[in-house]
Amino acid sequence: GKWKNKERVLIFSSRGINFRTRHLMQDLRTLMPHSKADTKMDRKDQLFVINEVCEMKNCNKCIFFEAKKKQDLYMWLSNTPQGPSAKFLVQNVHTLAELKMTGNCLRGSRPLLSFDPTFDKEPHYALLKELFIQIFSTPQYHPKSQPFVDHVFTFTITDERIWFRNYQIIEEDASLVEIGPRFVLNLIKIFQGSFGGPTLYENPHYRSPNMHRRLIRLSVAAKFREKQQVKEVQKIKKKGSKVLIEEDPTEVVFETPAEEKPVEIQLVKPESKPIVKDKKKPRKIQRKKQKKLFRTE
Amino acid sequence: DGLKQCLSEFKQQLAWVERLDVTSGQVVDPVSQSASDKDAVDPENDFQREMSFYRQAQAAVLEALPRLRKLQVPTRRPDDYFAEMAKSDQQMQKIRQKLKSKQEAMERSEKAKQLRAMRKYGKKVQTEILQRRQKEKKNMLNAVKKYQKGLSDKLDFLDEEQTSSQGNKKGSANQRIKKGPNAKRRYKNQKFGFGGKKKGSKWNTKESFNDVSSFRSKVAHNKGPGKAGKGGKKALNKRPGKRARQKMKSRAR
Repeated sequence: GKWKNKERVLIFSSRGINFRTRHLMQDLRTLMPHSKADTKMDRKDQLFVINEVCEMKNCNKCIFFEAKKKQDLYMWLSNTPQGPSAKFLVQNVHTLAELKMTGNCLRGSRPLLSFDPTFDKEPHYALLKELFIQIFSTPQYHPKSQPFVDHVFTFTITDERIWFRNYQIIEEDASLVEIGPRFVLNLIKIFQGSFGGPTLYENPHYRSPNMHRRLIRLSVAAKFREKQQVKEVQKIKKKGSKVLIEEDPTEVVFETPAEEKPVEIQLVKPESKPIVKDKKKPRKIQRKKQKKLFRTE
Repeated sequence: DGLKQCLSEFKQQLAWVERLDVTSGQVVDPVSQSASDKDAVDPENDFQREMSFYRQAQAAVLEALPRLRKLQVPTRRPDDYFAEMAKSDQQMQKIRQKLKSKQEAMERSEKAKQLRAMRKYGKKVQTEILQRRQKEKKNMLNAVKKYQKGLSDKLDFLDEEQTSSQGNKKGSANQRIKKGPNAKRRYKNQKFGFGGKKKGSKWNTKESFNDVSSFRSKVAHNKGPGKAGKGGKKALNKRPGKRARQKMKSRAR
């Protein structure tokens, strides 16, 4: 058959990504035969430069990974010339190379896409669903694709996030084994234009990782401060509990100070006393033994 | 709504076969609890969450495969079709090795557990057998002693008859054998066994002192009729006292 659906996806990233993200990118490139790779983009360039890069490579979709602070990974999904784009925070990344994922599939085979019914309920989810379909489905009769359908991508909405899984279809009765990769997408914003433009939707449940870390730090600090405050209150209590007693004038009446002795300065060393051994007093060893007995009793 | 407008602009009208998307709920699992309401899935419970994803994928597959078959899109790879896979063979080998090692470790631990259990059981059985043997030995010796004392003239124990009723012994006609030892001796045998407990057998405890069951008034005072009816009262039961016996002894010397 003829390859009609000309979708091409550009998958690349910014600088400063770690090994896991790199492997994830590579995995996506292997799973999607209609994808193209590109070099890392410099961070000082602005985002709309990406549109030009896509045009140069003749791609009409883009997956862009952005790493910030060497900790947080953001993913942009966009329809490049004019269409909508969405920014996500990516969490819980597991790559194809993990040994717990035992499934395998043909390289370039077409995936089945499975969506949660929740995707149809909200307009922003419906938009995202359309975006996912257009990006992740391999066009039919693509030269690099295999004609069989042997794996399925699932997108599920749980806990206000989108969970992605990839399963291999083993039997016709739908027994599945996970191939990987897997990740979780937390929607931040949907823009009308590609990598810019007015904001169509902002996720109210999203909390940036910086905020998250800050909150944790604040809570720890608050605990510490509370402890200190409690300590201070205790100190004040202790001080305050002392009742101030008035001076009693009758106290001093009977005091008779001692007679003052003349100050005597010794100029000669006193005679040393003769050392007399006290035979009655038990020797050190015997005293120690006595002590031991006493203690064991 | 801006979103809906954008969506309507953006949406492509492609044939389903191009997109292969399925929106479905989950396969209803007979084992799953409650009405399998999606909201009941606790995202923190890893197993439940993954199972929900699995079931969703299953539902999608079950729905899509017949459609694909109708559209004549192949879903099963023929066995002679060799093509590059997403994961290299090396990777699959590693995975297989890991699974194998895990299974082996489990088997080894199972074997060790079983061995331990068997050893325990074996020891128990062993002790039981030893105890049984000791018991048998003890019974045998008792039976032999009884025969030696003349209580039973039957050599039944040699045939290893365990069920020897005690009444058979008394059934014999001979008086001498019937009585056997003295009544006192019989009493002691009954209480302490044959050739048994020597120490502490004669004690003047409160119970033994207060026990006057063996007191025969006629015997003690030499009042009752003699045993043979004759005047030999003194002969059998009355033992002279200590002084009398000593006098007899010194006189005899």
